Amino acid sequence: MIAQQIINAVSLGGVYALLALGLAIVFSIVGLINFAHGELMTLSGYALLAALVFGLPFPVAVLVAVSCGALAAVAMERVAFRPMRGASVTSLLLTSFAVSSLLKVVFQNGISARPQAVAMPGWMTGAFSFGDFTIGVGPSISIVVSALALIALEVFLRRSVTGTAMRAAAEDFNVVRLMGIPASRIIATAFLLSGLLAGLAAMLWVAQRASVDPLMGFTPVLKAFIAAVVGGLGSLPGAVAGGFLLGIIEVLLQATLPAAIAPYRDAIVLSGVIAVLLLRPQGLIPAVRVQRS
Amino acid sequence: MPSLHRLHRAALYAAVFGTTIVAISTASAEEIIIGAATAQTGVLAPYDQPALAGLRMALDELNAKGGLAGKYTVKLMIKDTRSDTAQTATVAQELIDAGAKIMITPCDADPSISAGQLTQPLGIPTLTLCGSAPVLTGAVGDVMFGTYPADNVQATAVADFAVSEGKKKVFLLTSPDTTYTANLPEYFGKVFEKKGGAIVGRGTFTMGQPDFSAEITNIKGLADKPDLIMTAAYEPDFPAFIQQLRGAGVTIPVYGADAIGTPTIKALGKLVDGVVYTAAGYAEPGSKLEAFNAAFTKYAGHAPESTYEVNGYEIGLILDQAVKTAGSDDPKAIRDAIANLKDFKGITGKITYAGTNRMPLRPVALMRYEGGEGKHVETLIPDASDVPAP
Repeated sequence: MIAQQIINAVSLGGVYALLALGLAIVFSIVGLINFAHGELMTLSGYALLAALVFGLPFPVAVLVAVSCGALAAVAMERVAFRPMRGASVTSLLLTSFAVSSLLKVVFQNGISARPQAVAMPGWMTGAFSFGDFTIGVGPSISIVVSALALIALEVFLRRSVTGTAMRAAAEDFNVVRLMGIPASRIIATAFLLSGLLAGLAAMLWVAQRASVDPLMGFTPVLKAFIAAVVGGLGSLPGAVAGGFLLGIIEVLLQATLPAAIAPYRDAIVLSGVIAVLLLRPQGLIPAVRVQRS
Repeated sequence: MPSLHRLHRAALYAAVFGTTIVAISTASAEEIIIGAATAQTGVLAPYDQPALAGLRMALDELNAKGGLAGKYTVKLMIKDTRSDTAQTATVAQELIDAGAKIMITPCDADPSISAGQLTQPLGIPTLTLCGSAPVLTGAVGDVMFGTYPADNVQATAVADFAVSEGKKKVFLLTSPDTTYTANLPEYFGKVFEKKGGAIVGRGTFTMGQPDFSAEITNIKGLADKPDLIMTAAYEPDFPAFIQQLRGAGVTIPVYGADAIGTPTIKALGKLVDGVVYTAAGYAEPGSKLEAFNAAFTKYAGHAPESTYEVNGYEIGLILDQAVKTAGSDDPKAIRDAIANLKDFKGITGKITYAGTNRMPLRPVALMRYEGGEGKHVETLIPDASDVPAP
């Protein structure tokens, strides 16, 4: 049973890591915590549903949904955040809240306030058994997809020119611009990557929840924010570490707390976050250039 | 302002016909304002909206016949609570200020109580659309009425059924976040234990929680295996729970209550096969409910999603009867009339308030999902002596 809980923890931690990474990429470059990140997930979820309703095969539908998330992130940057470029951190933050609220209302009024069931293919609810030890297909996919996405991102940032430019921009954006690299391209790529991550996270999220609803982005973005802060705002390895840490603590507490204390789980988790920040105010793995929002 | 209304009318006729018509004034309809503080957006909207659609249909039909008791034309004022308890109080106050004589509140105890705090001192009868927590009416006072079968009544019906199936051991999954999710499974547990069953474990979740895997692993690890899981989780938590439960290879049946009798849960298809839930009624061929469903489809352009529509419709009928009995639009008289309603013939069956704590006695239909359809199991009114105290 302990092995089982470890798998549960890693699977949840992986999803949180993807989400936190999405927030951190944008933050490291533009200094914006994009609270509309959750709505990118919601959008991908609805895109998946629509693609399935139109009869697309499941893998194609997933591809469509993830690309929708990525494109929506780029569009969001173009429409809402580019005009605000250079504005104060507070203005950016408020803009992201506005975008988030607006999208929620659009989903509620345009689609439905009621959650929509997403029928996952049967094999996704299956489980492998080894003796009396079972691993669900869902959590396994979660773990594999998170790992692949993290590796792919790492390769992109280390090996490609744009990736190198992005890492440089996170350290000193002005110098990167002086080197002749267009700012808009870097920022658009950051949003594109964050949208891709949001889309992937949305697929894993929906696969575990079997429905999409207008408000489903709220909890994940909150968790991602906590994970990113714990890890060290703007630090990509930090976001991943923060995500896994949060997932592991949540599952551990849910598994071990007696029923009478279980309702205080979130309070205990958040107290843990405060404790981490007291000991390491810049987060677990601080960013090279520390920013505060 | 009926007198001004009449004056206005009389003046109009006088102007048109050049005569003073006295008789007209007594025949003119009076207006009664019903305030609906309900969720247009947010988590309660999927419950409030169908119920409100049913109520609207009833009021439209009644208005076509002259209004409540054929005399008081209803003006329904609707304001959005955004599924927020504080916002519910704000809009309830606005509706009271606009002259509401009857208040309709959301499908949940907490916002209904916040609205009830405002209507109670004024004696305005207040009816929740489908809030079913039996503590709700006691928490507010004598103006507050439930309309849907109460949680403890529903839980008793499900427990009776589980016992009759030979179920012996139950795992209760609750959430302290709402009265509904916290108490309904516990009511079930009380009845189940009284009738010889045992509670072998309890688990909790937070509403909106992303991950149930730890809880599910605990259920799998129980030494004493349950043969039933009882929960009042609803969407989006219920789909998440059952998806992850089945995904972990657990095949123990899951039973719930009215909040999972929705198109969303039905659309989960095979995933929810065998799930038992409750409804306010079942449309047997030739029944009044079947006729209602047809009429509603014509009215709204789509079939009812659940029994919340008919429940909303019955609220309209109950108000009509209450105003008839009261013989006036005085809120206190209407309240008394509702409280004394006995064996009122609704669409789903007989509804009684007299002798209750203002949570109605009415039938509960037990349903079971099979192959993506809700199949009727049985309809019953649980024995009052079995129903646990709120």
